[in-house]
Amino acid sequence: MLKKIAELEEKASREIEEAKNMEEIKALKVRYFGKKGALTALLRRMGELAPEQRPLAGKKAHDLRNKLEELLDRKEEKLREAALAARWEEERIDVTLPGAPFNLGRKHPLTMVLEEITGIFTGLGFQVARGPEIESDYYNFEALNIPPDHPARDMQDSFYFSPKILLRTHTSPVQIRTMELQAPRLPVRIIVPGKVYRRDDDATHSPMFHQVEGLAVDRGVTFADLKGTLLLFAREMFDQGQRIRLRPSFFPFTEPSAEVDIACIICRGEGCRVCGQSGWLEILGCGMVHPRVLEVSGYDPEDVTGFAFGMGVERIAMLKYGIDDLRLLFSNDLRFLRQFR
Amino acid sequence: MRIAYSWLKEYIDLELSPEELAEKLTLAGVEVEAVEQFAEISDRVVVGEIITLKPHPHNSRLLVAGVDPGDGSPLQIVCGAPNIAAGQKVPLALPGAVLPGRGCLEALEIERVFSEGMLCSGKELGLELGSPDGVLILDPPAKTGSPLSEALELNDHILILDLTPNRADCLGLLGIAYEVAALTGAAVKHPPAEPPEAPECTAALLRVDVQEPLLCPRYTARVIEDLTVGSSPLWLQLRLLKSGLRPINNVVDITNYVMWEYGQPLHAFDFNLTRGGEIIVRRGRSDETLVTLDGDERVLDEEVLVIADAAGPVALGGVMGGESTEINPSTRSVLLEAALFNPVSVRRTARRYHIPSEASQRFERGVNPAWVAEASGRAALMISELAGGRVLRGLIDSYPAPVQPRRVMVRPYRINEILGLKIPSAEVSDILSRLGFTIKPEGRRLEVTVPLRRNDIFLEEDIVEEVARLYGYDKIPATLPRGELLESREELPERLQGLVRETLTACGFNEIITYSFINPTSLRSLGLPEGDPRLEAIPLRNPLSEEQSIMRTTLLPGLLKTLQDNFYHREMNQLLFEVGAAYLPRQLPLEELPDEKLRLSLGATGELPVANWYTASRPAGFFVVKGAIEALLKRFGINRVEYLPAELPFNHPTRSAVIRIAGEEAGFLGELRPQVAEKWDYPQPVTVAELDLEMLIARANLVPRVTPLPKYPAGLRDIAVVVPRALSAGELKRLIYEAGGGLVEQVTLFDLYEGAQIPPGMRSLAFTITYRHPDRTLTEAEINAAQARIEAALSKLGAALRR
Repeated sequence: MLKKIAELEEKASREIEEAKNMEEIKALKVRYFGKKGALTALLRRMGELAPEQRPLAGKKAHDLRNKLEELLDRKEEKLREAALAARWEEERIDVTLPGAPFNLGRKHPLTMVLEEITGIFTGLGFQVARGPEIESDYYNFEALNIPPDHPARDMQDSFYFSPKILLRTHTSPVQIRTMELQAPRLPVRIIVPGKVYRRDDDATHSPMFHQVEGLAVDRGVTFADLKGTLLLFAREMFDQGQRIRLRPSFFPFTEPSAEVDIACIICRGEGCRVCGQSGWLEILGCGMVHPRVLEVSGYDPEDVTGFAFGMGVERIAMLKYGIDDLRLLFSNDLRFLRQFR
Repeated sequence: MRIAYSWLKEYIDLELSPEELAEKLTLAGVEVEAVEQFAEISDRVVVGEIITLKPHPHNSRLLVAGVDPGDGSPLQIVCGAPNIAAGQKVPLALPGAVLPGRGCLEALEIERVFSEGMLCSGKELGLELGSPDGVLILDPPAKTGSPLSEALELNDHILILDLTPNRADCLGLLGIAYEVAALTGAAVKHPPAEPPEAPECTAALLRVDVQEPLLCPRYTARVIEDLTVGSSPLWLQLRLLKSGLRPINNVVDITNYVMWEYGQPLHAFDFNLTRGGEIIVRRGRSDETLVTLDGDERVLDEEVLVIADAAGPVALGGVMGGESTEINPSTRSVLLEAALFNPVSVRRTARRYHIPSEASQRFERGVNPAWVAEASGRAALMISELAGGRVLRGLIDSYPAPVQPRRVMVRPYRINEILGLKIPSAEVSDILSRLGFTIKPEGRRLEVTVPLRRNDIFLEEDIVEEVARLYGYDKIPATLPRGELLESREELPERLQGLVRETLTACGFNEIITYSFINPTSLRSLGLPEGDPRLEAIPLRNPLSEEQSIMRTTLLPGLLKTLQDNFYHREMNQLLFEVGAAYLPRQLPLEELPDEKLRLSLGATGELPVANWYTASRPAGFFVVKGAIEALLKRFGINRVEYLPAELPFNHPTRSAVIRIAGEEAGFLGELRPQVAEKWDYPQPVTVAELDLEMLIARANLVPRVTPLPKYPAGLRDIAVVVPRALSAGELKRLIYEAGGGLVEQVTLFDLYEGAQIPPGMRSLAFTITYRHPDRTLTEAEINAAQARIEAALSKLGAALRR
């Protein structure tokens, strides 16, 4: 009996070792452990042995059973791993292939800058206002304290349709239109993005360009408030460490007036080619609303004050994105537009 | 305006460097755009004195000069210039000198005579001085041996001012000196302006009659006799050059020089060429003409103020003199005019004849009435000194209503209220005094008298600015406005425009911004029939070019141009959109403001997706544009949209649709008609669309009402039919819904096929039909019955079912 056990052990171990797949493992299980399996038969025949032989043979048979089960398990595990490894290899992809194309289009860079500027001011409680691009001389000039034959008209060469109708040269007429509608209610706080037009076309001027105008009218609005608002804007728009500089200037519809420079964003104020070695970049004009402008719009300049500012969107876009030729902004060249995100 | 630093120093002591001065002026509101070095001349060019002069031994056209370079031992210089003489001081370039446009100068032999340097003409030094082929003869006071750049102040700095139109006072050196004085506290020094006068009386020779005192509030005249017209001394010519003015002759140069000093334009007539001993300031007549100094004949009328003599006009007042009385080499006697002209009248005349001048620019902005006589005296003095004239006694001065200085009442607390500051009253007074304003306290207020040179100060607010800019804008604190919160009127239209851009960029479309003015040819390229309102475009009166001469009535021309431009760059795959206004007149010519209608245009050409390893390409045509529009309308929550086949003049007659929303026309889309595409030289088909964005905005519904999720399962069935091509998918879909009797929840076209196995003229369409009842589970039998109804309905229309 012990010999038989030893033979069975030797044979079964070999067969398990040589099994090539799960089917063979299954067949081996049947062959040894099944109802008619060799090991089952062996165990059944234990009763035929002499009682003194039984303990030893029984133990051996049980050891064999345990051993074969373990061998089968291990083999099974090995085969499963091999099968998985083969499957993984089969299913391997080249992860360096490009992804399926989702080609997003781009907003125009001027739109992005307009939205950004507008967003900063709406966050400060300004409301978006708009007005016509084809405008009357009254709103574009006269109500803004620029009478006919005034030299200030030279600052803004205009496109005319008739002696009294023109393409607006700035977004400032919307100041008047808004105040006229709202007077005498306070406060007025608007931001006006839009297209404007001047009769100029060269490397630094486009006959059509974009401005954003701001206006705040209330009791007790000060020049210091204007400065603080613009400083906040510059920091939001460019970076939190941004400095600004106000220089006295002249606009017929503000008094006092100022031009606002930011520290050059290229050289941080050290002086470079972009800022003409000055360390400063002019980005907008502003001032306290001229009393005559308040008056024609229905507010009493003794009672209320206001500030206004206007900035060129193209200039800010050029600074922000490092665009050195204004004309690119109106080229609609896809090679240019696709560079934005 | 260009000002020479060294010249400005004559009127005010300057301890600031040119750069510091520029910075100070800029921060006070007189913007200095740039500081330039006038000329850079090698130190090896010195003032030489010609001691001896003899003919060249081997060449009769050359001379050999002994020139003292300053150390008393003359150098031998060969020179060919005809204008040199012993005793003259001349620019002497020594070996080692580098001259503009030449290399380094070396001593060399010229026709066997050694030359130890070179005598220079103005041109050789890079200066527009002297005659081009003669040596530049220096003014006698030049110090022999000193570097030329020192002797002529060539290393001078030029401040280029970018003046705002309000600061007329800074159009002269004295005005700028007063501004500097306010900033530094230094005193302004006026130049001498009292000419020595001859015994004869001006009034005996000349009568002045100002007939238009409103257009010419002040007119002064002097007569200077027995003068000699010639070149100005070098120092004067140089100052003009530094100021950007061209030296002409001593008399004219002096008028320009004094204009630069005082900001007061002057005009000199050849007195002997004026007729009748009379100057009349009057309006022109329509039968008169005047040939101005630039040689052009000007037709006059009543709109133009002229200076006339007894026989007719001799100048356009304040704008330009006449040719007939121009100063010339034989002029012996000069009538010197210093006047005030009305800004508007000068502006109109200068614009009408397109002759803006330094003079007209100053009159337009306003000249200081207080300096008219002084400027005249100054010029007369200089003419007598530099042209040897005798100034006749007395200034004729027609000034019927002398301009009075303005008084402005100022409340110091108001200044602080506006600025958000706490400047003490004493400091306000101090600032105003430094500006030359006189102050008289009146209770809590100040009465401020403004000097006449400042014609830009009228109101308290103007004084506020003066105080602020001298106090320093940099010292004003940065605060934020307080006040009530406003209801956010942010403005659905704004948000929806943003949504359009987001949706379309997500669909792969790129935003473009094209000009609002277009080329009439591009509008015509659309082939619109006569009477189409889009042909009624508003023309600009003064366009920059034909290409930008009418206002767009549709966004298509800009889109088509952009497609074309990008085709030139070999961009074959383009998806474009634009959001912008179309300008629609209510009548032409324009009498009232037109309507500005917000539109959306889309354009597509090439492929989408573009062929790649992952996906096959499909044409970026009608269905790509339609897909983007559908996505947009879905995003806007707009239902009841129909696409109806339509024939449009510029679109392919059978590949074009109008879009209707709730029965109202909202736009169109379609492939561009090949004949139109040809006009634009397109290499391949393009599809375009234009929508009424205002209508979309008005109908937008961004907040959905959520419907409960279905409680009962859906049943899906496919159906495939072969139908004549003329039977549209839309019609089939409609029939399926109809025949389904309310059980059909959704119909989706999942396949479309024409070609092999399908008879010609036919196509196969396959739909998935979703059946569902809201309140119970549909039985197989119910679904089958509905499906059978649908099949029957389709068969009736000639559809063959494919199983």
